[in-house]
Amino acid sequence: MDKEVTYRVGIPVMGPRGETLGRLEKVLLTESRHLVTGLIVRALESLHILPLDRVTEVSASEIRTTVLPEEFHGFPVFDPTQYEEVPPWFFPPGHHIELGALVTIKPLDVREQGEHEAMSRRAFMGRSVAIVAAAIGVSLLVPIGGYIMAAATTPMKDSWRELGVKLQDLPFDEPVGHSFRAVSVSGWMRVPEEKSVWLIRHSGASDPASEPEDQVLGLDSPLELKDSDPRLTVLSPICPHLGCEPQWHKGQKLFICPCHHSIYQLNGKRIGGPAPRPMDTLPARIADDGAISVIYEQFAIGIAAKKRLA
Amino acid sequence: MGHKIFAYLDERIRISSLMGFLLNEPIPGGSRWAYIPGSMVFFVLILQFVTGMMLAFYYGGTPDHAWDSVNYIDHLTYNGVAVGRLIRGIHYWGSSIMVIAVGIHLLQVFLWGAYKRPREIMWLVGVLLLALTMTASFSGYLLPWDERAYWGTIVGTNMIGLVPFVGEVIKDAIRGGVGLGALTLSHFFTLHTMILPTLFILFVLLHMVIFRRVGPAGPFSGSPEKLEATKDTFYPRQVLMDSFGMLAIFIVILALAVLRPPGLESVANPSNAAYSPTPAWYFDWIFELLKLIRPEIVGVVGLPVMIAIVLVFLPFVDRKPVRSPFRRPISVLSTLFVLSAMLGLSIMAENGYKKLVDVDRVAMVRGQGVFNTAGCIGCHTLFGKGGKVGPDLSEEGLVGHSEHWLTVQFLNSKAHFPDSIMPDFTYLTPQQQHDLAMYISSLGRMGWPDPTKTP
Repeated sequence: MDKEVTYRVGIPVMGPRGETLGRLEKVLLTESRHLVTGLIVRALESLHILPLDRVTEVSASEIRTTVLPEEFHGFPVFDPTQYEEVPPWFFPPGHHIELGALVTIKPLDVREQGEHEAMSRRAFMGRSVAIVAAAIGVSLLVPIGGYIMAAATTPMKDSWRELGVKLQDLPFDEPVGHSFRAVSVSGWMRVPEEKSVWLIRHSGASDPASEPEDQVLGLDSPLELKDSDPRLTVLSPICPHLGCEPQWHKGQKLFICPCHHSIYQLNGKRIGGPAPRPMDTLPARIADDGAISVIYEQFAIGIAAKKRLA
Repeated sequence: MGHKIFAYLDERIRISSLMGFLLNEPIPGGSRWAYIPGSMVFFVLILQFVTGMMLAFYYGGTPDHAWDSVNYIDHLTYNGVAVGRLIRGIHYWGSSIMVIAVGIHLLQVFLWGAYKRPREIMWLVGVLLLALTMTASFSGYLLPWDERAYWGTIVGTNMIGLVPFVGEVIKDAIRGGVGLGALTLSHFFTLHTMILPTLFILFVLLHMVIFRRVGPAGPFSGSPEKLEATKDTFYPRQVLMDSFGMLAIFIVILALAVLRPPGLESVANPSNAAYSPTPAWYFDWIFELLKLIRPEIVGVVGLPVMIAIVLVFLPFVDRKPVRSPFRRPISVLSTLFVLSAMLGLSIMAENGYKKLVDVDRVAMVRGQGVFNTAGCIGCHTLFGKGGKVGPDLSEEGLVGHSEHWLTVQFLNSKAHFPDSIMPDFTYLTPQQQHDLAMYISSLGRMGWPDPTKTP
């Protein structure tokens, strides 16, 4: 079987008495042994397989087999799951299967030779498809990622909000929960809503117990440091543990969060419970007439750092 | 690693056999560029799905928020890139390009005679998908809730109302009442984002299942032996050609979205009787034809019904097996005639529309300064503010006055309105006249406030 064999695809395949069995359709290989094992012959009614050892004579014009017509009818109808077809791309360039074309195959190294070139062409096309798909995918997914993040990263402007309350009207060393009207912005919608802050007026400006714990621990941002006043501390009503609202307990002089019992002192210092940091101070300004304005900042909850949201 | 994952999955869900089934589909006669339109339509449909989902992320489907939300999307930026306008642009131009791609696909199937036995059912499903595409375009038109959307839908639904016996009922059911309002918008949004995508997925799948059952038609000429001998598998050559087609159509859509982003007219104003609505360009030929046909009912009902009848019954009437377009001169020539008639009518319609001035945005900004310093606001109302002596100018840009008309109006308004009491602003320099004309032409069309900037 090591001699070079020439097949002519589409030529008549004849039996020993010269009768036409059908036309040569395809060449068969076995997957494991890398051998050409048979021919597929198209007869009028269906495709048939002829084992290659039945082929006795090969010429440029015909393939003869020793198969008798009776035997031929016993051959299995072509079943693609049992054999590997030799598809057109299998053949080296210039050797496409066309009607009447000559195709040369060396049986022993057919896979190594033909497959290598065919596979490289096939792989090249496969890679090209992947590159085109990646180009489309990336140029679509990148803007989509930005689009999704765009709303999330729209910067919020710091807006000073006058609370309508004056410093001189507040009691000393006693937190006052003050509600005010604000506007909540979500994308294209603006909804009026009620917000609240704790206002704490200090009796002694130099009293260490009244210094906000955030300043003591150095958690404040430049904005909060710049807009702070020793006469007043403004605390966010949101518990830095999980976002509940601590309540002021007059008798104990403590803020206690009803959800998980985080306990804070007047200056926001945490003295008990699971909260990771003190209550958050907010930037505040006091006008000459005592009118108080704040920036209602919000911070990430559950972490030790005082990290501002957006 | 990749090999191991593949082997693991292959053992359990038989990927390689599935991929083999999907990719090794034989194409008689080999791969051709002529076969790519179907894949291009499929690609644009997926593009519409993806960008449509993105738009729904930020869209508010009620009349008091829809326009605001679309304006918000138009102003969304990420690191300075106008991503919102880009996504909306892709969806906007994708719908136009999809209509074109569907048309080309239909024409190719028709010319190749690929609708003939045994592919009649596949053709029918395709005709249904064409109807879905047109319905999607029509229902999406309303969603921005601007003047064009509102009045276009008024006319479109009124046309449905002309259908004898059932028209009124269907029209009111679609609108959710006699008038166009909140329920109409909800109905159209539901139709556009839930019902149509479901039907699209269902029938595109059916279209493809039938395609794989019956196989590709292949070229219209050539002996069976020749086609068999030159047959190729779907992968890789045809897949590569298809992907190039998809890339090309993607680049076209992207370029249109960047270079000509969709506009947003002022919010729907049911009392603006002066607005003259124009349809989407692919309905232009119907628009023009309706002007020629009397009574309207013949055009409104007769035309779509006639098209539907021709498309639905084509494979059952035309049963000769001959597929080559060169041997079917009558059907091919009559199709070409209909196509050129549609093209001619569309051009006539486009020429008949009032051309809005192409606004130069730089001059527009300067013109706003001229508007403010010249004291126009003393007599004219703009977005709810200003005097009541002259007409409200909030939507003046939609009227369609030319720059020349506007300039004459500034300098000598009595030339247009003999009784006009408007002063002659003859001191305006030619540059200022141009800038002011640009600003006036932009009113009601662009330059909306940026809602992503907190005031």
